[in-house]
Amino acid sequence: MELFLSQILNGLAIGQVYALIALGFSLVFGVANIINFAQGALFMLGAFIAYSAIAWFGLPLVPAAAVSVVIVAILGLLLERIALRPLIGAPYVAPFLSTLAISTIIDQSAEIVWSPESQPFPASISSTTFFIGNAYITVTDLVIFGFGAAATVALTLFVSFTWTGRALRATAQDASAAAQLGIRTDVMRQIAFGLAGALGALSGILVALYFQSVFPQMGIPFGLKGFAAALLGGLASIPGAVVGGLLLGIGETLASAYVGDSYRDAIAFTLLLLMLLVRPNGLLGGGRLDALGGAGAAAGAMPTTSLLASSSSQQSALRAYYLPPWGFLAVGAAFALVPLVVSSTYVLQALIYGFIFALLSASTSLVSGSVGILSIGQAAFFGVGAYAVGVFARPYGLPADATLAIAIGLTALVAVVAAIPLLKLTGHTAALGTLAIGQIGFLVFLNWVSVTRGPMGILNIPHPVLELLGGLRFATTEQKYWLVLGFAAVALVIAERYVSSPIGRVWRAIREDRLAALAAGLPVRRYILLAFAVSGALAGLAGGLFAYVQQVVSPESFTVETSILVLTMAVLGGLGNLTGAALAGFALAILPEFLRGFAEWRMIVYGLLLLVALRVRPQGLLGAR
Amino acid sequence: MTGEAIVVDNVSRVFGGLKAVDGASLKLARGETVAIVGPNGAGKSTLIQLISGVDRADSGTIHVDGVRTDHLPPDRIARLGVGRSFQTSRVFPALTVWDSVLVGVQAGLIETRSGRLIDPVTESAGALLGLPFWRRRVAAQEAAAEAALKLFGDRLWPRRDQPALGLSYANRRRLEIARLLAAEPRYLLLDEPSAGMNPTETEELTHLILDLRRTHPDMGILVIEHKLSMVRRIADRVVVLNQGRVLIEDKPDHALDHPEVVEAYLGRARSGANFQDAHHG
Ligand SMILES: Nc1ncnc2c1ncn2[C@@H]1O[C@H](COP(=O)(O)OP(=O)(O)O)[C@@H](O)[C@H]1O
Ligand SMILES: [Mg+2]
Repeated sequence: MELFLSQILNGLAIGQVYALIALGFSLVFGVANIINFAQGALFMLGAFIAYSAIAWFGLPLVPAAAVSVVIVAILGLLLERIALRPLIGAPYVAPFLSTLAISTIIDQSAEIVWSPESQPFPASISSTTFFIGNAYITVTDLVIFGFGAAATVALTLFVSFTWTGRALRATAQDASAAAQLGIRTDVMRQIAFGLAGALGALSGILVALYFQSVFPQMGIPFGLKGFAAALLGGLASIPGAVVGGLLLGIGETLASAYVGDSYRDAIAFTLLLLMLLVRPNGLLGGGRLDALGGAGAAAGAMPTTSLLASSSSQQSALRAYYLPPWGFLAVGAAFALVPLVVSSTYVLQALIYGFIFALLSASTSLVSGSVGILSIGQAAFFGVGAYAVGVFARPYGLPADATLAIAIGLTALVAVVAAIPLLKLTGHTAALGTLAIGQIGFLVFLNWVSVTRGPMGILNIPHPVLELLGGLRFATTEQKYWLVLGFAAVALVIAERYVSSPIGRVWRAIREDRLAALAAGLPVRRYILLAFAVSGALAGLAGGLFAYVQQVVSPESFTVETSILVLTMAVLGGLGNLTGAALAGFALAILPEFLRGFAEWRMIVYGLLLLVALRVRPQGLLGAR
Repeated sequence: MTGEAIVVDNVSRVFGGLKAVDGASLKLARGETVAIVGPNGAGKSTLIQLISGVDRADSGTIHVDGVRTDHLPPDRIARLGVGRSFQTSRVFPALTVWDSVLVGVQAGLIETRSGRLIDPVTESAGALLGLPFWRRRVAAQEAAAEAALKLFGDRLWPRRDQPALGLSYANRRRLEIARLLAAEPRYLLLDEPSAGMNPTETEELTHLILDLRRTHPDMGILVIEHKLSMVRRIADRVVVLNQGRVLIEDKPDHALDHPEVVEAYLGRARSGANFQDAHHG
């Protein structure tokens, strides 16, 4: 009981921090109607700038925090200017992807500036502990809770009683009406982003104080938790964000106390998915979200994930270039000749990764492009396939036909189950759901030690043997090259058949207008689940092949970075265009193999590429489909 | 009270205190054309939302051919043969005209004669392998789609390879109707089909509906329409809705010339924008 009470008090403190992150999401969502994926990156920068101010310049905590808050607020303004302003009137997916690109760039730059390692935060608050009866609470908890609560109250007063605050609220409620009243809605957008930056920085510093450490990858998990809190509270409501943050904080602290600390995040993200499943509009839900049949849908306002239609401009028809299904076989046949002329295992190895990422990128394009549910969790499916081979190949001595079949089937199943919470969602919200899936996948790979061997990974995966081909063994690089190429080509043929069949047409119809698809009598959920099954099967196959090629499976191959990488490939190739996805996946995977020393910069370059592409060619290289 | 008809019985829908539909009852039998008229905000569109399952009634019941539908999801209701258009037409912007109409017939493609859906594995096999049974089905659906597009003369058919987002306002409405008709619905619910159309186009639409009545004598048609001259020509009955309630239900001439209607409906509309041109509400 004492433990229980202490955990609740402890949870309130961290929950208050989540509430602050959530408020950043809510403000921006309210005013600009987008989910700012970079909120987590701003949060992380807040912590690191404070860290540097203390560790490098010797500032005391409070001035360091103030400096950090100001700098990150300005960065928030810049974010709006650089990543979003040019995209006003662009397709609905563009602004979200743009914040995703910025987030990647910031995260990777932080790893270069501050090193990827976790570092102790150089300031702390007294560790004195108070007892209330038998329950205890530390001064740190109290200070964090106090600061968080004060910031929330200040924000509430600001939006309630100042002119600017009221203008912000008016813009959030009805931007065009606000504009008619003479409110500069573009300025309001900037203010919202600036405030979101300040809130992000403050929460980053509080988290650094709470956990006493900072690391460059902290942005995404905490950003996702802040988003979960915001969603719990209905996404566009300030009191909702606070309640959501506190509930999440308490829930997660209790869970980690009773289930184990390593499951802390997994539990938070599972809560998020459950939330999406049962109450997609949040606990205090307003009607702002696009749950089917809600108020927005009746008014025709449900956002479309259409790749072409946009809020203002109506772009004319865009051409898409893609191969017919058999074209993948033809390309595959041409590549099959390469080992006859190229003997360098180095080159062949690079090409093998190219094929695997072509497959993975196509699997991402299928859900993200055809169905319009941006997948930021594809690495989890990739990982399930890889671990399936890792687990079944040696101990059970199964041939590759069997292990790959397991990889494909199991991943398809996992993808279908994972997609169930996403069924009621569209647009950006569904994308954040896939991010949660990706994070859960990674945490399971990392922590389910009895099966995955945790951070160690599974070593010594045997060479693949195809029993169906009379026990044919693929031991050399050349042989593996043909194996991977063959499977990838056939899988892409099947995927392309799907996309160009009536099923693919229904997927695109669902993406363009889900409500109209329902009104046309289509079982929309079934079709979405089918898309996830196919996408999961492709990703699972890619993972299985990857495991055989690497001969090692370990969690770091399946991080969110991998998911973002393959989504970037899919966007650059042209969303929904499997040929484009395969081409971009192939090219971006082999490129760094030939440009050594570039590794650290790779994700930054890809992030920049994505940012530029969204401005100049949002339909991707070969055209979205 | 059921049988071969859509029967709406004492249905209400409240939006945060506002009774958009307030105890409305209505019957649409197969073979008849009923028009709903009423001032903006009368609850006409909401009624279609409720019948099609896009929105849920707070009370009351709705039956389609004897099946209670007020708790069914919209796709199930559509597969019972209820096709509906939206007031702001909903086309699939990036899909071509041809693909859009094919989406309209897809539900028929995967439905067996007993009304069940073909399972996804069989559907995948059919679609990927191009099995003969599947090809026959596809061919039949494509024929239906082509016929539906050609109902609109040279308005849509020559544009079948263009994406829907490039279509004019009137053509989007036509495309939406073509998509509905391709599915060969038993009931057709149209929400202001002539909004945004000029007099010539309205005349075309009127003829289309009159033709449909002839060629599809078993189809029940429900039209929300502001253009009363059109209503008088196409409708067997008119339901006048005001503040969510059925004010009057009668033959067009009786209903439209009823003093209470003129008072409640035209009186208000005249003081505001030109009633004939009211498209929104
Ligand atoms: N989803 C909704 N949320 C809130 N109010 C709504 C919604 N849909 C309709 N209303 C309100 O219900 C009333 C009836 O609307 P509607 O059925 O669209 O009228 P109309 O007869 O013009 O088609 C209007 O006052 C409208 O504002
Ligand atoms: Mg209406």
